[in-house]
Amino acid sequence: MQQALDSQRVPYKKPFITPWVKEALTGYAFALPWIIGFFGFTLIPMLFSLYASFTDYDIINPPRWIGLKNYAYIFMQDERFQTSLYNTLYYVALKTPLVIVLSVLLALLLNMDLPGQQYFRLIFYLPTVITGVAAIFLWVWVLSPTGLLNRALAVVGIPGPNWFYDPAWAKPGLIVMSLWYLGAPMLVVLAALKGVPRELYEAAQIDGANTWYQFWQVTVPMISPALLFVTITSVISGFQVFSTAYVVSQTAGTTAGDPAQSLLFYEVYLYTRAFAAVPEMGFASALAWILFAIIMVITGLQLWLSKRWVYYDN
Amino acid sequence: MQRRNVFSLLWMTVLVLAISACAALETRTPSAAPPAAPGAAGTPGASSGPQLAAQPAGAGAPSTAASLPYRVNANAQGEITFWHFWGSALRRNAIQRVIAGFQQSYPNIKVKETFVPFGDIWTRNTAAVTAGSGMPDVIVEDRPQLRARAANKIATNLGDLARRDSIDGSAFWPFTWQESTVDGQPYGLPYETDIRVLYWNKAAFMDAGLDPEKPPRTWDELWSYADKLDIKGSDGRLQRIGFHPLVGGMGADIWAWTNNAEFTNNGTLTVNTPAHVETLEWIRQWDERYGKQNLDAFIATFGPQNSPQDRFMSGKIAMLVDIGGYTSFLNTFNFNPETTKEPKQRLGWGMAPVPASSTGRPVSLSGGFALAIPRGAKNVDAAWEFIKYATFVGQQSWARDTYSMPTVEKLAKEDPILNVDPRWQILVKAMEYGRPAEFNLYYPAWGSEYNKAVDDMRIRGSNPKAALDEAQKRIDAEIARKKGS
Repeated sequence: MQQALDSQRVPYKKPFITPWVKEALTGYAFALPWIIGFFGFTLIPMLFSLYASFTDYDIINPPRWIGLKNYAYIFMQDERFQTSLYNTLYYVALKTPLVIVLSVLLALLLNMDLPGQQYFRLIFYLPTVITGVAAIFLWVWVLSPTGLLNRALAVVGIPGPNWFYDPAWAKPGLIVMSLWYLGAPMLVVLAALKGVPRELYEAAQIDGANTWYQFWQVTVPMISPALLFVTITSVISGFQVFSTAYVVSQTAGTTAGDPAQSLLFYEVYLYTRAFAAVPEMGFASALAWILFAIIMVITGLQLWLSKRWVYYDN
Repeated sequence: MQRRNVFSLLWMTVLVLAISACAALETRTPSAAPPAAPGAAGTPGASSGPQLAAQPAGAGAPSTAASLPYRVNANAQGEITFWHFWGSALRRNAIQRVIAGFQQSYPNIKVKETFVPFGDIWTRNTAAVTAGSGMPDVIVEDRPQLRARAANKIATNLGDLARRDSIDGSAFWPFTWQESTVDGQPYGLPYETDIRVLYWNKAAFMDAGLDPEKPPRTWDELWSYADKLDIKGSDGRLQRIGFHPLVGGMGADIWAWTNNAEFTNNGTLTVNTPAHVETLEWIRQWDERYGKQNLDAFIATFGPQNSPQDRFMSGKIAMLVDIGGYTSFLNTFNFNPETTKEPKQRLGWGMAPVPASSTGRPVSLSGGFALAIPRGAKNVDAAWEFIKYATFVGQQSWARDTYSMPTVEKLAKEDPILNVDPRWQILVKAMEYGRPAEFNLYYPAWGSEYNKAVDDMRIRGSNPKAALDEAQKRIDAEIARKKGS
């Protein structure tokens, strides 16, 4: 019986492109621009830079394998590496807490029920849109020794520092400047604040919690994932500070990193190596991979520590 | 917020950061040099007419190829691109005049002139040469760095072309030619040099009871002259300083030369000999004289350089060393202050050799550029004709416009229009003490280590000897690394 049925059946020829394959192909076709970009502009250059970091490479002549010499020099002898790492850590350590506190404060203000909030939101976010060298020049002017900020300080009787002309004040000056771009973290925190269920506050109120207590016991835990996000991105962007420092130091001083190498941040140093009169792309690649490792470790550490303070409501 | 959301947000941010990093690179370019003045941005063809009409009569009738002071290759033709970084109104105009003159003599060659910011031009050229396309036919090179470009095969060896046209370098100030050659092979023709001199404000001298015609010749005289010229207000703030070695156009490294300190000793780069330490100590004395804080606050009140409000023309400093080109600004703004004491007089300014220490002699860095052809350039023949023209003919109008010293000795000494100004002759005479920058193939950027030592002493209060020893250590390590790798 079975045999009879089989013999009668029209032999089914499996089509070359099954619907499943078709769907997959369509999917990959849509993702193709990104895949090409990822391989062509990210993965392959990254692997090449890993190779280059073990070579002496001036981009004109073919790279020459020198083993671990670049890394050895960086770790054992390179004072500018130490200076730039110190400057960068200083910047990250001072800027990150300020970014978090200020963006939470701003978001709390914007979360209040007041008329015209959308205009305030726009105004606070606006600086994030105005980026680039023009904004940096504006700040060099505001923070010049006889600039706007020092004049304002003089009104209240405080003699302002020379900011970008004084190695002790150049980094704080740059941090003041970077706080202008609070828009993005503020928006993330604001979105998280909007997502905190009202009934939690009501329950807390019934239990007799005052505003302060509500903030610490309800608000902070509920927005802690957003705070984690802001912390991680702020640390990473802090490690990658470049254009502001590069432009400021060449406007106020003469070489990248001025005054007295106080603005020689990691990426500024990397850039001066990579694009020197005789480019040192191999050396710069080694620096880049060290920075990559540092950021990976610190981010991993933050994610691991986040288990202790971040609350997920799922 | 859910865990999943945090991670997707993180990824999105990575993407946004990547995109904004690209944007930052794009917008960074204007930082190094101010953009060209809108008026100067026109094409050379559009603006050459009226400029030529405005040129002095001495420029003469349009020259023909036959009358050019070098061997001409009449077969060269086509289009060439020319990269330079002269974006200021004055210099952009000056280079466009040079190009306009070239176009008159060479109707078959079209020059496309492109302004590239100072901080970008050589990086961009290196990238183009490496990629094998997009490089200009002619580029302005920093002469001290030309040997590094030759070693890296970025610049083309022009030896054969020079020999064909009998250019042996004898026309140039010797050191400018030396800087442009490696093992006797030229990699560019020297274009523009400069010389530093002491400028002094004669009215300020008269008011201070000094002889306005007698400039200081030594470091000691600078100090005693400044004693008379300094003015402090009743609040202790500086109103006028007589002099400070680092207020002006001369760095500590050049002052070291005037103290007989050398950077190359027995073939090694040395920055910490006793004469070097002495130089930094001398600079520190000047810092202490005015107080570094006071001085910084005073410097912050200076107006833009080369304007009537700048440090010298505003009367805030009575003596300073600057490049010869500064004369053109003093001429333009007719710097001629009145004495405050009776009888009121206008005495102008004076120019003299750079004062030296008691054991030294006047010295000045003579920097400048070279016109070179990047490896892989498409139209070498036409590029070479342009380089020859700009160097041997163009530098005449260039020097008249900018007051920078032509590298062709004869042009500097004999051009009748330049020499109408007696001050020009002072500059030509000063060329006797000009010398090229110290070059080190293993560490072309060694100067940044020396400058850090100066900063360490001036800003961080380090001991000069210790600061220079540290710099020496860093330089040695860097050179050893490059030699070893």
